[in-house]
Amino acid sequence: MANRLTFPDAALPASTEEIRTRIRGFLDAELAAGTFTPRADTWLSGHDSEFSQKLGKEGFLGLTYPKQYGGQERSALDRFVVVEELLAYGAPIAAHWIAERQSGPSIIKHGNEALREELVPGIVRGEIYFSIGMSEPDSGSDLASIRSFAKKVDGGYVVNGTKVWTSQAHNNHYFIVLVRTTPAAESQGRHNGMSQFVLDLRSPGVEIRPIRLLSGHHHFNEVVMTDVFVPDHMLLGTEGNGWAQVIGELAYERSGPERILSTYPLLASLVDAVGPNPSAEAAAEIGVLVSRMTALRRLSISVAMSLDAGRSPVTEAALVKDLGTQLEGEIPEVARRLVPPGRNEQFDVLLADSILSAPGFTLRGGTNEILRGIVARELGVR
Amino acid sequence: MSTVDPLLIETIESMLGDLCEPEKVGAAEGGLDANVWKALTESGMASVGLSESAGGSGGSLQDAAAIAKAAGRFAAPVPLTELSLVGGWVCEQAGLALPEGPCAVVLGDGRRTYWAPVAQSFVVVTDAGVAVVGPDAVTLGAAGVNYAGEPWADVTVGAGVTFVAGPAVQQVQARGAMARALLMAGALGQAVELSVQYCNEREQFGRAIGKFQVLQQYLAQMAGEAAAAEAAADNAVDVISGGAGEAEVLQVVAAAKTVTGRAVGIINRLAHQIHGAIGYTDEHRLQYSTRRLWAWRDEYGTEAEWSASLGRSLAAAGGAALWPKTITAWPPAAVG
Repeated sequence: MANRLTFPDAALPASTEEIRTRIRGFLDAELAAGTFTPRADTWLSGHDSEFSQKLGKEGFLGLTYPKQYGGQERSALDRFVVVEELLAYGAPIAAHWIAERQSGPSIIKHGNEALREELVPGIVRGEIYFSIGMSEPDSGSDLASIRSFAKKVDGGYVVNGTKVWTSQAHNNHYFIVLVRTTPAAESQGRHNGMSQFVLDLRSPGVEIRPIRLLSGHHHFNEVVMTDVFVPDHMLLGTEGNGWAQVIGELAYERSGPERILSTYPLLASLVDAVGPNPSAEAAAEIGVLVSRMTALRRLSISVAMSLDAGRSPVTEAALVKDLGTQLEGEIPEVARRLVPPGRNEQFDVLLADSILSAPGFTLRGGTNEILRGIVARELGVR
Repeated sequence: MSTVDPLLIETIESMLGDLCEPEKVGAAEGGLDANVWKALTESGMASVGLSESAGGSGGSLQDAAAIAKAAGRFAAPVPLTELSLVGGWVCEQAGLALPEGPCAVVLGDGRRTYWAPVAQSFVVVTDAGVAVVGPDAVTLGAAGVNYAGEPWADVTVGAGVTFVAGPAVQQVQARGAMARALLMAGALGQAVELSVQYCNEREQFGRAIGKFQVLQQYLAQMAGEAAAAEAAADNAVDVISGGAGEAEVLQVVAAAKTVTGRAVGIINRLAHQIHGAIGYTDEHRLQYSTRRLWAWRDEYGTEAEWSASLGRSLAAAGGAALWPKTITAWPPAAVG
């Protein structure tokens, strides 16, 4: 008998309404004050440290973190609500994004006390920013084939290697880098012998080279590490346990609202651009997009609730990301068919953002083909 | 929102699993399977979700939805939801006694009334009000079956019927669309399960065909569309049971019928592609799911009609209302 993937009842607790009202109030005020203009895909591209610090000051970052590091020990569902509102408003949130979503939680879970005290409160204040150091030039979907290496020396490690697709490394302070600490040939199984370090991107020996996207934008970088010294206390978790630590982060990384809503601001603009009496074709196409978005959001809430309850819905998260990122890419395809260019300046800007970012939606955080492999295995084939 | 007791799901799935063997489902075409109908009514399953004071079994709309999904999954050849989710609901709302025996819901002009040829009661919904009548009070005209062999007929209601105030035609149409969305959610899941099984059983080139990446990708895509379809149908159930107003009911049902109907096109195509030639022969059971899906996506409004209706209402409300009034309103937040 085949396995059935189930998405149990999904309803955000009523307690989340308070923070939803608060974040909407904040965002409405910021919009009115003109501190940001809504854009698409802002969690990758909208790097604005002033805005991130404002969010920190207002208590919208590190909601789930322990109080001793500046957090509020609130439910992950409160964070879900804050994040989806920020995305829907098209607010610039790239500066703190990775730090707040996964680096902080990783450091809290795996880091030593000194590391937690040094870094986590700054993440909560929206002042300390992180990038991800996973992919390498020869290791994309096959992450376990990485070659960057950290060699033990007195008082720390010396790291050599190259990381790539490192979002915002040129603007951020640290990345959590996955490296080998035991050569692959000497490890028992290819997933052993890897470790994670918190690496200061301003350390001597770190060179950050821009990789411009086809849009001309500079979000990605290549980070070359040549004999970079990392002190012992920056080892994250246990030496050799890096792979398990990385996999544990994936359900968080893959199921969030950012895998559905990257182009939401364009959808809202499309609804305005077609006017109050759209053609039957335009109405039907918008109806389909919104129908699918509400269905996928329900699945995303279900995964978030499952995570919040302490389960690890890695497969369900993969499925939601596959569907959600397809929808993100279809929104600009529909929008361009329904509204000719040159009618509405805001619409045109959002459409350009969305069209030119779309190739990344189904690549970042695990390609859709890899995700479908994960789903198929859970269904009982392979 | 209420949670469905896993025991209820286990009970209905075990009952229908035993009664709805593929040969029996096939033999019932053109009519209904009297044994299945008897089991569902005698156990009270057919009227779960209808209040006990109205003559139903009680239970929540979510319970009734779970039973409808199971009926879709096992291709139960009976008009279950015409009673449990559509006709029975009309009677409950109008303060009428529940229909006796299998019922059909006569909407507006009565054209293509689903299940009319086998109905013993007719729940008539017109602009003048609603009524429940027996076969003597109606005339059946042109008749036929849908792609799955489920019968329909044009129905004319005779003069002299007394109507009482009840739900409007459009609202009943929406209940019907919700019911079809739930049946489809169940049947879509079944098409995916049969496909996974076939991928593991069928060997070519010396290995199970599920070893081929292309088919793994198909299965994952199908599982995704099936999950989205069920989520859309569940959203409709939760929003309606949460007491949404009439306009919002039409919107959330539109979303459910749109997502489930769209999933049928994708899942049926891939399920048949995976099953190869055997899957579209008369002897293979896949057809009892896929033919129903092709039929149900057209009943109580196609996804083209529903999505256009949703799109028109969203455009009239404007882009600023989309997020707070629709997207974050479904599913409704828990109470308390």
